[in-house]
Amino acid sequence: MSTLLPPPGEIARMPADWVAERSGLLSFGKYMLFRNVPKDISWLQTLGSALLTVFILQATTGVLLAMYYQPDPATAWNTIAFITNDATLGWLVRGMHKWGSSIMVVLLFLHMGRTFLFGAYKYPREMTWITGALIFILVMAMSFTGYLLVFDERAYWATVVGVNINGTAPILGPALSYILMVGPEISTHTLSRFYALHMLVLPGAIGGLIALHMLLVVRLGVTSPPWSRMKVTEGDV
Amino acid sequence: MPRLTARERRDRYQREYAFQKRHGKSFFPHAVFHDTIVSLIVVGIIMGMSVLWWAQFEPVPTEAGVERAGGILGPAYEGRADPGVEEYDPKPEWYFFFLFELLRIFKTPELLLVGSVIIPTLWMVLLIGWPFIDRNPDRRLSRRPIALAVGVCVPIVLLTLTFYGSKAPGAGGEASTAPGAAAFAGGACSTCHAFADAGTAGNVGPSLTDNAVSYETAYDLIANGKGGMPAFSGTYSEDEMKCLAGYVATHSGAPAGEEGPEAATAAEVYPAACETAGGLFAGAGAAAAGD
Repeated sequence: MSTLLPPPGEIARMPADWVAERSGLLSFGKYMLFRNVPKDISWLQTLGSALLTVFILQATTGVLLAMYYQPDPATAWNTIAFITNDATLGWLVRGMHKWGSSIMVVLLFLHMGRTFLFGAYKYPREMTWITGALIFILVMAMSFTGYLLVFDERAYWATVVGVNINGTAPILGPALSYILMVGPEISTHTLSRFYALHMLVLPGAIGGLIALHMLLVVRLGVTSPPWSRMKVTEGDV
Repeated sequence: MPRLTARERRDRYQREYAFQKRHGKSFFPHAVFHDTIVSLIVVGIIMGMSVLWWAQFEPVPTEAGVERAGGILGPAYEGRADPGVEEYDPKPEWYFFFLFELLRIFKTPELLLVGSVIIPTLWMVLLIGWPFIDRNPDRRLSRRPIALAVGVCVPIVLLTLTFYGSKAPGAGGEASTAPGAAAFAGGACSTCHAFADAGTAGNVGPSLTDNAVSYETAYDLIANGKGGMPAFSGTYSEDEMKCLAGYVATHSGAPAGEEGPEAATAAEVYPAACETAGGLFAGAGAAAAGD
């Protein structure tokens, strides 16, 4: 009977093989991991992956916060207080989400600065820069919408001022303010609108752009530093 | 070096990059190793900040709806938002300070659009379109003087704006002892107007630290309103409006504790009107402390 069964090692590999055969995920993973990068890439080129880590961290802590948070002016502040004071390790989850956002903005600036310094936005990587710039703008929108959710005095007034600033723009300004606040002032609908933007629309858009950004990075390859001495010499090709 | 056509440049780039890749190293484990170390450090910093923030929390207040104070990284949360409280100084998160400061620079109504819309839009266009603006194919900084200048200036401008934005006037400022200052700081004025002498930092309306206003103009604006500013003739008595207008006229356009260029225009009514008005209007900064 035993001859009918493949060896145990092969049985263990079967589920993975089954998925790989149908999806091509295995070869895609291999392509991602075992591609060559220039020999002299620098430590400065780790900032992009650090940003991905922070994005995953923000998404994870965000989901945990969403399990307790209620986007209603009557209860929002109380649920924030509950998360901070009473929920097990709630202070840590909220703290990491709060400080993670600041660190993310700092890393974005550094990552952009490195790209600029290396001239890495030049041919053929222009599109990678554009997707990155869009991610940057959306992350700023992310922090603006997240700021209101705590619904303490600072959050409330900073948002009032922020939305009023939008409102000074000609033609579209007042309309944009009205759409953001769902009316002339901050109300129940404002909070749930900001919440929907903050946890569904913006992270969805950012996630999609990150995927595109990374795909471009892998496809075009990592830039070698401009000071690289790895130059093609005659007869070396 | 002879000038190359676009196609030649591309061919050269592709030949060079293919060479670098062929003689390169595998992404896994070499680059992944470095990435992991940096990611761990970053997560460590975020956790460290969270712990430091949490470690300095004061005990949970027994009253409902009030702030739970903290240490150097700020409170756990401030008091529950109350649209009725209008004396709050709105301040954005630190990474919006540069925009906040930009708005304070372009404060006057004619220039407001420059700070709120035109410059930020230009920045975004420059940011997204940068690869099409900088057409210099060289990547070495020594061959990119213009890009280097931009790369040095932009962070300096942003950091300077952020620095001054963080020090916006009246953030925690004290009202001076001039008659009317306490009424200005404790009343509706402070919500919209930054005024160093009164220690307020509202940024909805024009700054009175930067703009000198004559007595007649101030009185007219307070009584009848203009644009976004409401009329206060129904709220304040005649003497109270005279007191406020006199205070604004004598101290606007100057740093805290100094007389402004329009001081003379109010000499006849101020500070006599404040004494007649009584209450907060007569008082010094001390009267506002109990507010």
